[in-house]
Amino acid sequence: MPIHEKSLIDGVIEKDSAVVDGVDVSGRWNTFIKERLLTDYHEDFVQEVKSLQGGKTVTNCWQCGTCTSGCCLHTDYGLREFNPRYFIYLAQTGNVDELKKYENVIWRCISCNKCVERCPKGVKVEEVVHAIDEVMRKRGLAEDTPGSRWDRTYLDNIMVTGVLDELGLTLKYVRSEKPADFTRGFMARMAFKILKNGNVRTGPIRRRTKGWKKMKKVADSILEADGYGSTK
Amino acid sequence: MAQQNEKMAYYPGCSMDGLGKAYQKSTEVVFRDLDIPMDRIKDYNCCGATEVKNISYDLSVFLPTRNLALAQEMGAKTVIAPCNGCVYALARANKTISEDSGSRERLGKYLAEADLPQYSGEVEVKHVLEVIRNSVGIEAVRSKVSKPLKGLKVACYYGCLYTRPKVYTGAGLQSGKDNPEHPFFMDELLQAAGATTVDYPVKTICCGGGHTIADREVSIGFSAAILNEAARAGADMVATMCPLGQVNIEMNIPKITEQYGAGIIRPVVYFTQLMGLAFGHSRREMAIQENLSDANGVLKRMGY
Ligand code: SF4
Ligand code: SF4
Repeated sequence: MPIHEKSLIDGVIEKDSAVVDGVDVSGRWNTFIKERLLTDYHEDFVQEVKSLQGGKTVTNCWQCGTCTSGCCLHTDYGLREFNPRYFIYLAQTGNVDELKKYENVIWRCISCNKCVERCPKGVKVEEVVHAIDEVMRKRGLAEDTPGSRWDRTYLDNIMVTGVLDELGLTLKYVRSEKPADFTRGFMARMAFKILKNGNVRTGPIRRRTKGWKKMKKVADSILEADGYGSTK
Repeated sequence: MAQQNEKMAYYPGCSMDGLGKAYQKSTEVVFRDLDIPMDRIKDYNCCGATEVKNISYDLSVFLPTRNLALAQEMGAKTVIAPCNGCVYALARANKTISEDSGSRERLGKYLAEADLPQYSGEVEVKHVLEVIRNSVGIEAVRSKVSKPLKGLKVACYYGCLYTRPKVYTGAGLQSGKDNPEHPFFMDELLQAAGATTVDYPVKTICCGGGHTIADREVSIGFSAAILNEAARAGADMVATMCPLGQVNIEMNIPKITEQYGAGIIRPVVYFTQLMGLAFGHSRREMAIQENLSDANGVLKRMGY
């Protein structure tokens, strides 16, 4: 059988031509995988993913690959190594060593939900992928990522008044993460255009959601129960 | 159609009072022209978009639920949202509350604690695009057109969360919803406004807006793909229906120009801006100058 998704396997051996016991096996049979021993499966990993609300459907997956074949990220515009089907497989088998290699890839899911749209088994793939990422970080297997820092900055921002302050969010995130092309000049040009149009709700003209205080109290208690520190 | 006599609440979402003001202004005009009422939910709050759910599931359902509960209190049977992200978050909350009894119970408790009315998922969520197309119909739109967008080639960009996923939005499953794989409502409306819409392969691809700043590589890659395919199909401009998509593509234009050249750059506008122009309103009224990309050149050449 030809080996699919060879790129996922470490130690694929392909020779131009090969003869085994006097038989010429060149061609598609000429691919071998290096002998290897996999141990150290974390069987409880998938249970922890499943225990999260977003990860509930992780065990429904039957590995058809529909999610990956349609995934916006798994294209030439995005990142070929992003493969939700594979992440779910690794989570199901508890192969955290392999998952760890994707520490810098998993968070990049852009939440476009094409996978959820198409999954024939009702897996909330996008939420499961984020749940896997969350468990990795909870277990200390992955560091904070730009994605998780973005989510937190966003949450902290909306918790102040109940509505998003886009400029404030952008400034805060850019200041701490310093993405290369968000230079001072670029930011100044954007800010000028936006301020000129009055399309902002930052600083003194910030609007509040009436009754937000009460809402925030409840929201804070939810966050506390979910193990999130206070919102600044 | 059916919902004409039913009260609809309008949930603007944060962007419409911020970066998406041009979308808000043009939507207001189009609604007025078509006699669609716009009853704002006064003290709306952020829907949590796709960010909050990565931190707290319950909060990500609670935030949109507050808005839905307020809409119900207004007597509305429908909530209209102009932003794909809001449609997603609101529809997701609806689904969670109506189908998951555990979540419903917890949400009920939170609502009570915050002195909000109880809510159990009855208010229907619709995108502005669906409402314009369904509540007045294509013919009514055509009859309003006084300056048809003749000769203008538009690439309609729908983006991710307008119909996706159908398990939340009901697209392809309920009547009045667009096709989740091959959406066509915007094409229909802009054709009725006189424009030619082009067929191109990335109508529903992600724009990368969820990670505009957090993941520059991907966000630029997607935005470039959209502009490139639109340009290849011969479009003069790209029309959007989501403030996040609009601003994301526009913000990436300088970088895309640098990486791929100015040849593929097309101005990006909201579909309501184009409809307003066709209804005889000026560029200024449609706030074209507020967009970060410059559509004025093309439109001037077209005589607007
Ligand atoms: S589409 Fe669904 S069932 Fe198929 S591999 Fe992806 S998650 Fe699993
Ligand atoms: S939501 Fe994430 S995993 Fe799903 S298709 Fe989009 S980028 Fe891929």
